Amino acid sequence: MRRFATTLLLVAGIAGSVAISPARAQEQVLLDYFGFDFESPIVVPNTFGGVGNGYVGLGEVPLINPPLVADYANFQYSYRITGLTAISRLVNGDFVVVDYGGPGTLTIYEDSKTSGTPLDYGSNPPNATAPSTFIDGTPILIGTLTSFRFIYSTFSGSGSYESDFTIVGGTQLANIPVPQRAGWQFAGVTKNTLSVPDGYAHQVKGEAMIPAPTPTRSSSWGQLKRIYR
Amino acid sequence: MNRSVRQGVSMRRLILSITVAALALVPLRAAQAGPIIDWDPAFFYEQDATPYNSVPGHELFIVGIISVFGPPLDFLNASDPTKDYTFYLHGLISNGTAVSSFPPFGNFFTTTYNGGVIEIYEGTPRDAVFDPFPPNANVPSTFTNGTLILSGTMVSFYWQSNDFSRLNTGNAEGHILWTGGAYFNKVSHNELPCPSLFTGGLTWRPSLMVDGYVFRHQGKLDLDCPTVAKSSTWGRVKTMYR
Repeated sequence: MRRFATTLLLVAGIAGSVAISPARAQEQVLLDYFGFDFESPIVVPNTFGGVGNGYVGLGEVPLINPPLVADYANFQYSYRITGLTAISRLVNGDFVVVDYGGPGTLTIYEDSKTSGTPLDYGSNPPNATAPSTFIDGTPILIGTLTSFRFIYSTFSGSGSYESDFTIVGGTQLANIPVPQRAGWQFAGVTKNTLSVPDGYAHQVKGEAMIPAPTPTRSSSWGQLKRIYR
Repeated sequence: MNRSVRQGVSMRRLILSITVAALALVPLRAAQAGPIIDWDPAFFYEQDATPYNSVPGHELFIVGIISVFGPPLDFLNASDPTKDYTFYLHGLISNGTAVSSFPPFGNFFTTTYNGGVIEIYEGTPRDAVFDPFPPNANVPSTFTNGTLILSGTMVSFYWQSNDFSRLNTGNAEGHILWTGGAYFNKVSHNELPCPSLFTGGLTWRPSLMVDGYVFRHQGKLDLDCPTVAKSSTWGRVKTMYR
């Protein structure tokens, strides 16, 4: 019986390591982004989130964490959110909830600071520089966005959005272990700043999370066997 | 100079003064398009508060670690392993939480605050830590040790949450007027302080929280220095009214 139990434990462990179940699942921040959003195409004019309107986000990625690799000395990093279409818009008082279909895509691009194109929002996007200057680099990470929901208050001029974020591609896909590819992302959005370029809807500050690696503790066959003797 | 001429000169001076003042203040667009400070994360704590309720009169505290500086503070390196750049917000007094029902989803919760002071520090060593159940031996002390590089007052701070977002997300923001600190001159314009917007997303998702805190905030500060409508000189402006 002892041998049977020991065998089961060793099979459950991987190469002499035992997984320690955390008290609650932990997550880590993969990247942080900021930028601006706009609607394209626009089916319902002058109504953000009107059913049929497309949602687009563009901006910079100032923070990229391992297991992704970034070189901020030589490259600039940008993002684009696209592929989302409003499928439901409910209003109650000052609050608005918009649900989007898709799936959408969040792509992170890496572009040379010397030979690449400087990021330029311009005005009234899409325009000659946006999104083109944000998407002309190497796509290092591509993720699908599902269950995308945008919540905002017309009174405060601010709100947030959230969605699932599943990593499916990009040149650094292999850096993300398969068990860590199903993450999520969210952002705060606001109109209450002078920095919103003409024609954009909101300023956006967001981040994407992935599951943290499962913690392990090194052990030996002997130590394991002693537990059950 | 007779009375009518004096009145005319006075009127010109008055118009000139108003025009110059207007030119100096008309905000066409912020001087900086990107954030001057970006953090990830900051944590909120407040006695008896939950993501859905704040007790009127209670004080909200926020501690954060700065991850990136943008112009005009981009001469600072937030990744310097010998330093940490941190901020501490205090003096935010709750007005209580307003609940707005939104069937069929659930409820929105909005909490506004009066007052507030923000302090940004450059400290050595890199020791800021979000220990659980603040205030404690390290919170806020490891966020306030060092040189005060910026300080200011917060106006109209609020947070918005809800009880139906699947991933437990909302937002918070408020306006800051800088008043002091070693780098105050970097965030002022013509010796007048520029307002800043403290903004970003909130989450209370258990997998990202530390015990004893109410919210985790990923946010940034924008510098909303107004720019003049058109560059000019005193001479040109005077010429317009001669």
